[in-house]
Amino acid sequence: MLRKLALGGIRSRLRDYTVLFSGLVIASAVFYMFLALATNKTFLTSNSPLSMTTFIFMFGEVLLAIITLVYIVYANSFLMSMRQRDYAMFMMLGAKSSKIAQLIFVETVTVGVLATAVGTLLGIGLTTAAGHVLLGMLHSSAPGFSPLWWPAVLWTFVFFVVLFILAALFNARSLIKTKILTLLHAAQTPNRLRTKPVLLLIQALLGIGLLAIGYWAMAAVNKLGLSGIGLALVTIVLGSYFMFNATLVFLVGLLKKNKRFASRQLHTFTLSQLSFRIRDYTKILAVVSILFALALGAITVGLGFQRAIPQIAKAQDAYDLVQVAPTAKEKADANKLSGLKAKVVYTQKADGTNIYFKASELNAHPLEFPVFRSLGQSSIEKVTATNFKTKVAENSSNMTEFMRPVDSGKSFTVVSDARFAALAGQPYQVITYQVADFSANYDRIEALVKTQDKRLGFKPDSMTNGQKFGTYALITSMYGGLAFMGFFLGIAFLAMLASTLMFKILSGANYDKQRYLMLQKIGVRPALLRKSIAEEIGALFLFPGLLGVIHVLFGLQLFKALLADPYDGLWLPFTIFLVLYGLYYALTTWLYQSIVITKDLGGRR
Amino acid sequence: MAQPVVSVKNVTKTYGKNNEKQTQALRGVTFDVTPGEFVEIMGASGSGKTTLLNILSTLDQATTGDVHINGEDVTGLKGDALADFRAKQVGFIFQDFNLLENLTARENIALPLALQNAPHKKQQQAVDAIAQTLGIAAVLDHYPTELSGGQKQRVAAARALVQQPAILFGDEPTGALDSQSARELLDTMADLNRDQHVSILLVTHDAFSASYAKRILFIKDGQIGQELVRGEESQEDFYHRILTTVGTFQQ
Repeated sequence: MLRKLALGGIRSRLRDYTVLFSGLVIASAVFYMFLALATNKTFLTSNSPLSMTTFIFMFGEVLLAIITLVYIVYANSFLMSMRQRDYAMFMMLGAKSSKIAQLIFVETVTVGVLATAVGTLLGIGLTTAAGHVLLGMLHSSAPGFSPLWWPAVLWTFVFFVVLFILAALFNARSLIKTKILTLLHAAQTPNRLRTKPVLLLIQALLGIGLLAIGYWAMAAVNKLGLSGIGLALVTIVLGSYFMFNATLVFLVGLLKKNKRFASRQLHTFTLSQLSFRIRDYTKILAVVSILFALALGAITVGLGFQRAIPQIAKAQDAYDLVQVAPTAKEKADANKLSGLKAKVVYTQKADGTNIYFKASELNAHPLEFPVFRSLGQSSIEKVTATNFKTKVAENSSNMTEFMRPVDSGKSFTVVSDARFAALAGQPYQVITYQVADFSANYDRIEALVKTQDKRLGFKPDSMTNGQKFGTYALITSMYGGLAFMGFFLGIAFLAMLASTLMFKILSGANYDKQRYLMLQKIGVRPALLRKSIAEEIGALFLFPGLLGVIHVLFGLQLFKALLADPYDGLWLPFTIFLVLYGLYYALTTWLYQSIVITKDLGGRR
Repeated sequence: MAQPVVSVKNVTKTYGKNNEKQTQALRGVTFDVTPGEFVEIMGASGSGKTTLLNILSTLDQATTGDVHINGEDVTGLKGDALADFRAKQVGFIFQDFNLLENLTARENIALPLALQNAPHKKQQQAVDAIAQTLGIAAVLDHYPTELSGGQKQRVAAARALVQQPAILFGDEPTGALDSQSARELLDTMADLNRDQHVSILLVTHDAFSASYAKRILFIKDGQIGQELVRGEESQEDFYHRILTTVGTFQQ
């Protein structure tokens, strides 16, 4: 009978259970995704030039474990808030408390294990899909990467099941210890705020101080080494928490004191909702700001590495493709390159010792030699007939791609047009191509280079042809793995972020339903209610977002050693991320509005 | 005779769609309330009195029939117009108070004025005045959870009256109160009706509560069955007459 009642309880609150369950599924899926990289030592060591990477991932594991712990604590209290009334009712009907304890334990563990199982499967699926898509995008392979990674499966299960068993024990204990009447009326708890301004000030200062230490540690990671990352981790997590606790409560209080603002429309109500919310939500908001920073940071760094690949390749070779004595078909294919910026045709002749350029052609279109400045930064040197000899002597490797294997060992010489015409031998064309986006033309350039190598007699897959393609592939193999990690973790953290905030907001919707019904009954326009909800949820999204952006701006300091300029082109990842975040805000608001604003005011179902 | 503040003609309400099992909660109800009247609608559980009140206070719509509040036809109102009508013309107090527990008493009472963007000073003056009348001036800065049931219902009444609505509706406002608080609240309502000519319409199943009214309509199975007018009678005599009527009416 009791079992039947328990099941009936679940059925009647299916939507709440859906929110709870999907939240837990995402949490375990993301946990798995992260572990699939973090516990795969082969993958980590063969994809990162840094020996620190393994340790950085270990810190990541700790951080994610903390985040998941907070998440599960919230999920658990949500589960309890749904169930305690039912359980109290069973007790009133005469169920023994030992029986109830047993029931709670079974229910919590069942929900947990099921969610973990589904989540792990989802995690494997997401890992496969994300791995496939990202590696295709990056033209890279990530050696050792395996979507189905058993140690990750094992650890995800161990971690979640242990947590749920602990949660179940805690639930059973606390339910039995509480009085039945308290349980029945748990929703009507008094909530007057008592905040001491001094305490707020101390918390604010502590928050700012901790954040400052964390930001400094990230900037000084070269000096501090690994301990710097550990220090940043602890201080930023705690700093975010205190910031939210102090600053937001203070800010809302300030707005509430501004009577002109507060006494209009629903402002008082919205602010009151927020001030209760923020206290209740501080931990979640701190977690969200960290997740926001991790997701945005990972995507930014991933994009940074991806952008570094063509930059570094460009610093090695100014030409994206050089065709030597191409056939008509090869020329036609090369004309299909997209975003062609420059194409120059030179005429060459070769004899027993020399390869000849025409002076007029070089003067009209000087050759471009890249000059290395710093990591990923280069400038272009123009090479005309006048300085040809010295420049080529300085950096002969730049000319490799202008030479056929049959001509190897010969030297380049510039001659006048008259002299060129008088030379023996067949003239042939050498065409240089520069495109806007190498990556977009990757497949076509690869095909053209392969055809040419075969025709000219280069060994397949060697880099002796001097083409940019080979350099590009080499750099991709070094940086692609890092870019992959960035994007992959960015997606994982974004999913976790979405699920955390949405879960917390929607799990509170039931308590709020009553309030919005009252407001509608006393004649508040539905549009005004919608606005109030949008503002309230907007604040809950905005503040962690702002703090998250600041975290990222400082966090990018960590990558100074690896990227020429980690701050270069920030607008792109920021725009992508903010658009996603905005969409996700709109979705949460819409869901929330559809739960709490009802058309049926009479109260009949 | 003055235009009635509430005018109900042949109102019916049927629950359930055409293809489902239908229940008729109201079967043609007709009555008027004149300005300054204190009317109570009495009936047992399931008699249709709450349905009727929900329709009057525009929380629900009649299936057929006309409802005019303060001369305006409310059956045709929709969306914002309906919300605004409810905010300005109708005051409503509920059995379970329906206060917002995250706002103080003062903020709760000021809410309808804030919705109309009244200046802050005016809001506070109006709140203080109505709080004085209802005897809750001392507890204005408390949260609802810190108030007694009687105080909560006074705060709710203050919120309902602060806009000076055409009529105050109440759905068993004393239902959740102890007898002392119930008596005090009803005394206050009678005072408001007598001194400030507030029109009041309450539904109740409690004869004592009903004895405060000037007129009582008895509702049974979705129809008005009988009407009692107090006239010059003392409250005690009226109470006994109500008890006798309830005894016979329910059979």
